[in-house]
Amino acid sequence: MRGRSRLAEGILPFLAGCVPILVVLVFTGLPIVLAVLYTFGDTGGLNATVAAVAQHQVVAKDGLTLGAYRAFFDSSDLRADLWATLWITGLSTVILVAVAWVLALFVRFGNRRLGHVASTLYLIPMFIPVVIASYALVTFWEANGRLAALLNSAGITHLGMPGYTSLGVVIGLVWTELPFGVILISAGLQSVPAVLIDAGRDVGASWVRLLWQVLVPLNKIPTLIVLIFTAVGALGSFTIPDLMGANSPQMLGVAMTDYYQSYGEPQMAEVMSVIIFLVALGLSCIYVVSLRSEKRRQAMRSESN
Amino acid sequence: MSVPLSTHSGVTDGAMRSAPADIAANPAAGQQRLGRLFSGGATGLLVVALGLFILGPLVLLVVAAFAQSWFYPSVFPSHWTLSWWLTVLDTSGLLESVKWSFVFAFTVTAVSAVVCLPAAYAFGRKSFAGKRLMMMTIFATGAFPKIGLYIAIASLFYSLHLMGTFTGVVIIQLLSTLVVMTWIPAAAFAAVPESLIEVARDCGVGPLRTFFSVTLPLARPTIIVAFILAFLASLDEAQGTFLIGVPTYVTMPVQMYNLVADYPAEATAVFAILLTVPSLVLLMVARKHIFSSTLAQGYHLR
Repeated sequence: MRGRSRLAEGILPFLAGCVPILVVLVFTGLPIVLAVLYTFGDTGGLNATVAAVAQHQVVAKDGLTLGAYRAFFDSSDLRADLWATLWITGLSTVILVAVAWVLALFVRFGNRRLGHVASTLYLIPMFIPVVIASYALVTFWEANGRLAALLNSAGITHLGMPGYTSLGVVIGLVWTELPFGVILISAGLQSVPAVLIDAGRDVGASWVRLLWQVLVPLNKIPTLIVLIFTAVGALGSFTIPDLMGANSPQMLGVAMTDYYQSYGEPQMAEVMSVIIFLVALGLSCIYVVSLRSEKRRQAMRSESN
Repeated sequence: MSVPLSTHSGVTDGAMRSAPADIAANPAAGQQRLGRLFSGGATGLLVVALGLFILGPLVLLVVAAFAQSWFYPSVFPSHWTLSWWLTVLDTSGLLESVKWSFVFAFTVTAVSAVVCLPAAYAFGRKSFAGKRLMMMTIFATGAFPKIGLYIAIASLFYSLHLMGTFTGVVIIQLLSTLVVMTWIPAAAFAAVPESLIEVARDCGVGPLRTFFSVTLPLARPTIIVAFILAFLASLDEAQGTFLIGVPTYVTMPVQMYNLVADYPAEATAVFAILLTVPSLVLLMVARKHIFSSTLAQGYHLR
């Protein structure tokens, strides 16, 4: 009996957890290892297939080499692409979190009927395929697009339109990630007890103070999740920057596709992937570390009560 | 002051549920609070701006699908036609791509459920060595840029003879569903109150029956959302399907890429609408579940 319950409590769950891990290790982990080795000049083993037809690759004579990374940072175009990737990701993530907070506050504390309308509206992007969304958004926001035509008829002609620029990419990323952001932050706000807010109001706290001293501190974790998940998604995004962005600078997700498909340089494409992956892993570490310290703080708080 | 941070533990889940109920029970209080935070004018402006931002591009895309031709600076098209619909429906390969999209979406969702749901149950309700590392691995590997991953997978697929095969495309699409299919159902299983399960067990109900008549029914709404999100992820996947599946397996988003490059904008608009219909049907089905707080819980690392 004891043996059986240990089986149910420890070993079976572990084995169940291993099934998706196995899929991930074979079809994501192994390819990532191959890709990283390839960027260091290893063209043997399974990498021989891709290396056989590649142009301009750096091959390590013996051991490994940083040559491919040097080539990346020597190219001023690619440095510009990396910079564009970082600021587009940063800006779209910050805007998304701000907009998601406003909408979540509105759904929680605003007019109930309009809140219902808003909560249907912000869900829509979740259900529109990204290819369609990018196409619809760029025809709307481009220089000779639908919005420009509307503004033109109203006599406004000198406004720069963001379609086919990096700002267009920011708009596209905010549009597609909005449902995720609002869902997470609303759920966090819903979990703040109404009693707490009423108590704050009763002692005469202003909305700004309530926001900064109650709502924001209590929703650090949902906000952090939105920040990290959105930024990680934006860093490696392809469809939106490809259809909505400028030709140069490009986000690295687009550049790596070009280097692979058009220039036949898979190694440089993998160098870009590894660089983005490192940034994304750094962000994920922030998530795990601050989650841990937040949990510890909560544990201490509940003990002291 | 005790602050029930229910968001981060399954145990105090009840507190989380009761918060929205408070508002529902006392709408007047909610209205009064609104008066301070959002004035009437600001409210209207906010909803209108949101509507324009979200719906504007989509509505004008629908209009374009019925326009004969529509170029800047005309605000609206002057002549209307249905001919683009006939063009699109006549183009060979388009209906074929609709078929393949659905075949893959159903297959991928089913495979994903088989692979992930037992793990999700384990992540949600059991504690065992390496759990957090496992969940983090599933998330972190998703952080490697897709195209970089697909280039490397292509090498692997060549040696496994999976290039251009049905199985190859299923595997590629499966990878984009793993996070939603493990993290979200794990939260759903974790949210089932321990007390209910104990009651069932105390009454002498076996573990299997407890699972099928208590745990699973309570977790089902959120698991359905995970199914829908996995289905959508598969319907949406274009880059990997293109690299692995072409020329045999061309799905709707892959076809859409070709159209954006080769066809007039009006024909593209028609196809865009056709491609959106299945997703909108799913939106209708999922609308009432999608805003459950357990969905948001799905993105918390437990």
